[in-house]
Amino acid sequence: MLIGFVVNPVAGMGGAVGLKGTDGAVEEARRRGAVPVAPNRARMLLSLITPGVHTFLTAGGPMGGALLAEAGHPAEVVFVPDRTETTGEDTRRACRAFADRGCDLILFCGGDGTARDVFGVAGDTIPLLGVPSGVKMYSGIFAATPAAAADCVNRLEEAVMTDAEVMDIDEAAYRGGRLAVTLTGIARSPALTGHLPSSKWATDARHEAQAQAEIARFITDIMRRDTLYLIGAGSTTAAVIQALGEEGTLLGIDAVFDGDVIARDLNEEGLLRLLDRHHRVQAVVSPIGAQGFVLGRGTQQFSPAVVDRIGPENFIVIATEAKLSRTPALYLDAGNPEISSRFSDSVQVICGYAMARRMPLIH
Amino acid sequence: METKYILDENDLPRQWYNIQADLPVPLSPSYNPQTKEPIGPDDLAPIFASEIIRQEVSTERYIDIPSEVRDILTLWRPSPLYRARRLEKLLKTPAKIFYKYEGVSPPGSHKPNTAVAQAYYNMKDGIERIATETGAGQWGSSLAFATKLFDMECKVYMVRGSYDQKPYRKMMMQCWGADCIASPSPDTNAGRAMLEKDPDTSGSLGMAISEAVEDAASHANTNYSLGSVLNHVCLHQSVIGLEAMEQLKMAGEETPDVVIGCAGGGSNYAGLAFPFIREKMAGRMPDCRFIATEPSACPTLTKGLYAYDFGDMSGYTPIMQMYTLGHGFVPPAIHAGGLRYHGMAPLVSLLHHEGLIDSISYHQNEVFAAAVAFCRSEGIIVAPESAHAIKTVMDVAAECTRTGEEKTIVFNCSGHGHFDLSSYEAYFAGALPDYEYPAELIAASLKNLPKIH
Repeated sequence: MLIGFVVNPVAGMGGAVGLKGTDGAVEEARRRGAVPVAPNRARMLLSLITPGVHTFLTAGGPMGGALLAEAGHPAEVVFVPDRTETTGEDTRRACRAFADRGCDLILFCGGDGTARDVFGVAGDTIPLLGVPSGVKMYSGIFAATPAAAADCVNRLEEAVMTDAEVMDIDEAAYRGGRLAVTLTGIARSPALTGHLPSSKWATDARHEAQAQAEIARFITDIMRRDTLYLIGAGSTTAAVIQALGEEGTLLGIDAVFDGDVIARDLNEEGLLRLLDRHHRVQAVVSPIGAQGFVLGRGTQQFSPAVVDRIGPENFIVIATEAKLSRTPALYLDAGNPEISSRFSDSVQVICGYAMARRMPLIH
Repeated sequence: METKYILDENDLPRQWYNIQADLPVPLSPSYNPQTKEPIGPDDLAPIFASEIIRQEVSTERYIDIPSEVRDILTLWRPSPLYRARRLEKLLKTPAKIFYKYEGVSPPGSHKPNTAVAQAYYNMKDGIERIATETGAGQWGSSLAFATKLFDMECKVYMVRGSYDQKPYRKMMMQCWGADCIASPSPDTNAGRAMLEKDPDTSGSLGMAISEAVEDAASHANTNYSLGSVLNHVCLHQSVIGLEAMEQLKMAGEETPDVVIGCAGGGSNYAGLAFPFIREKMAGRMPDCRFIATEPSACPTLTKGLYAYDFGDMSGYTPIMQMYTLGHGFVPPAIHAGGLRYHGMAPLVSLLHHEGLIDSISYHQNEVFAAAVAFCRSEGIIVAPESAHAIKTVMDVAAECTRTGEEKTIVFNCSGHGHFDLSSYEAYFAGALPDYEYPAELIAASLKNLPKIH
C-alpha cells in the first residue's frame, strides 16, 4: 500500500511546559524550555514498522523524510517545506501532495491540531491513522500508542475501516481552564479487531456500514410512538435517522417523535425546549473520539441540565464492534460530578440486532 | 474419602425415563409450518425414523433401551460421578459438590447418548444416510461416531463460526467417516439464500438446522437428526440422571438440594434433571431446586418469551411452544457455540414456565473464570458450555459459605474443552467481549420480537 507519512515536528511541545497546546505558541514553548516530542514518537513508530511491506511518500526533513531515512525505510519525498519552522499550512500542503499521488493511507504524528489539518485535506476519502504525539488527542483517528499504530500499519490487510471522529478544541478556552471540544468531522480510520475469536469471525464486523445498518434497524424496531428520541452525534447515530428514511445531522443532535424527525441539529436551548414538552424521552448516543466518550466530548449540547432532565437510565449507547475494539472501556463526563455519578460503572452498548456488549464506563 | 462413584456396566439403565408421563400439564401440540395444523406422525415421517416419532409423542413413563444401543453405550457408560472435593476446598464451602462427567465418551460429551439411539432407529428403518447440523461440533462428531458404528453415511452442516474456530472437530468427523461442511453452505437452497444475503455470516444453529432439514427432505433414503430440543432427545439423555441418582445413593446423598446444568437446546440439562424432577413432583424431594444456566448473549429461558416459534431460521421445522428469542435472532459469536440457540426444548420450557426450573445467565468472562478455577482444582478442562454450569455451582457454593448451609449440589459436566483451547487463549488474553441480550429495551418497546409469519 502507498502510505503518506507526515510529522508535525513541534506537536506536543506545549504540553510539558504548561501551555495546553502548541498552536501559535511554539516560540513561547521554546522559551519555556520545551523540547520536540513528535520526532521521538515517530522514531518509536518507525522502528516497529516492518520494512519493505508498504511504500512511503513523505515530506522533507523534520516533517518525515529525515526520520524515515534514519529508520531505514525507503521513501519518496513529495513535498519540501520552504522554512524550518513548519506550520499547519505545511502539513496541509504535504497531505495534498499525498492525495495527488493517490495514497491509500495518511499516517501522521501530531495532536488534535495536526489531525484537523490532515482531515481538512483528506476528508472521509483517504483513511487516516494518527500517532499520538500532541498535547491533546481526543480525535478518534489516533492509535493508543506508537506501537499500536505500528501494529495496525504492519497488519493493514486485516484492518477494518471504521468511522472516527475528528475533534476541535478551542485552545483559547482550554488555556482558560474550560474544555470545549466540538466534533468537526467524521474521518475513516483503520482498526484491528484481531481480538475477536478468529479472523473469520471478524468478517461479521468487516462492513462498517452494514454493522451500522443492523444497529439502526434494531433501534428503529424498538422505538415507541410515545417517546421522544434525541439522537446524535456521529455516523452510527446518523444511520438510525437514515433507517427512518431521512437524512441525519452527522455532527449534531436530531429529535425524532413518532417516526418523524421533528428537529435537527439542536443546541442546548432547543433540547431543553423539547424536554419541556415531552415526558418520555430517550437519548441515543455513540462513543466519540479516541477515548470513547459517551458524553462530554464533542456533544456539548448534552449539557448537564439536559442530561439531568433526560436521566441516566434513558441513555441508549450504540457502537459497532469494530469501533468498540478500539476502546477497552468507555468514558463519560456529564459536566457535573453529581450527574456523572448517577451513571453506572458499566454500560450496555447495542452493537447489532438484538445484540449488546457490556463495557466498563469510567467517569 | 471417595472421589468418584462408579457403577458396574450391568447397572447401565435398561429403560429411559420419559417425563411426558409425569408433566403437571400436558405439552401443547406443535404445528405444521406450512398447513399450521397440529403435527401428526405423518408430518414427521419424511425425515424421522418411526420409533423416534413414537417416542416423540409417547407418554409411557419408561421406554426400553434396545440391547444394541446399550452395548454401544457401555463403551463409556455408566459415566463417573465425581465429588469435587478440591473445588469445595478452593471455595471454602460447606456445600457438597458432585458432578456427572459426560466428557468420557469417545466424542467427548453427552451427545452420543442420543446419537447412538437415533442412528440405531434409522438403521432399523433401512435409512442409509443422516443429515444434521452442529454448533460447536459436539453433536456433529457424536452423530458421525454413531452412524459409523451402524455403517451409515452422515452429512454435517457445521455453523461457520465454529467450523473456522475448531478445525479439529471437523477432522474428528472425518475420522468417523462423516462429510462436514460449513453452514451456510452452497449445497442447499436455504444455505445459498443466506449466503446471498450475507456472504460473510458466521452462521447460527437455526440456519444450519434449515440446511440439514432441507438435505434430508431432498435426498433419497436420508433422514434428519437433531441433537437437542426434541422430546426424544431429552428421553435418551435421561440415562445421565438415572445413573446419577444411583451414584448419589452410593455417596449417601439421596436427595440433592440443587441440580444444575447449562442449557442451549436443553437436552443435557434435561438428561440430568428430569429423573430428579420426577422425584420432586412426586413429593420425595420437595425442596430440591433446579437451575439451568445460559449465556447473557443468548438468555432464552431467562429473558425470552414463552411462545410459539419455529425451531430453525428458515421456518422448516414444526412450530413449537417454547421459550424463544425469535427464530430470526442470530446470537453473537460467543465461544459456547452449543448455547447459541434461539429456542429451548419444549419440555424444559414447560417446566420452567410451571416454576419447576429456574434459570440464570452469565457473561462469558465470568464463565471462563469459573472454568479456569475448575481446571486448576479438579483438573478437567471443560467445554465453555459446561463452564456455565460451573459458574452457577460456584455461586451457589459461595452462598453456602456465607450462610453455612451444607447443601448438596449436583451438576452435569457435559463435555471436555480440548477443542476449545483457543477460547481459553482468548480469555487469558483479555480478549473476550461480554455480550448480552438487550432484553429490557426489547420489553420496553412493547414488541414481541418472536413473530410467527
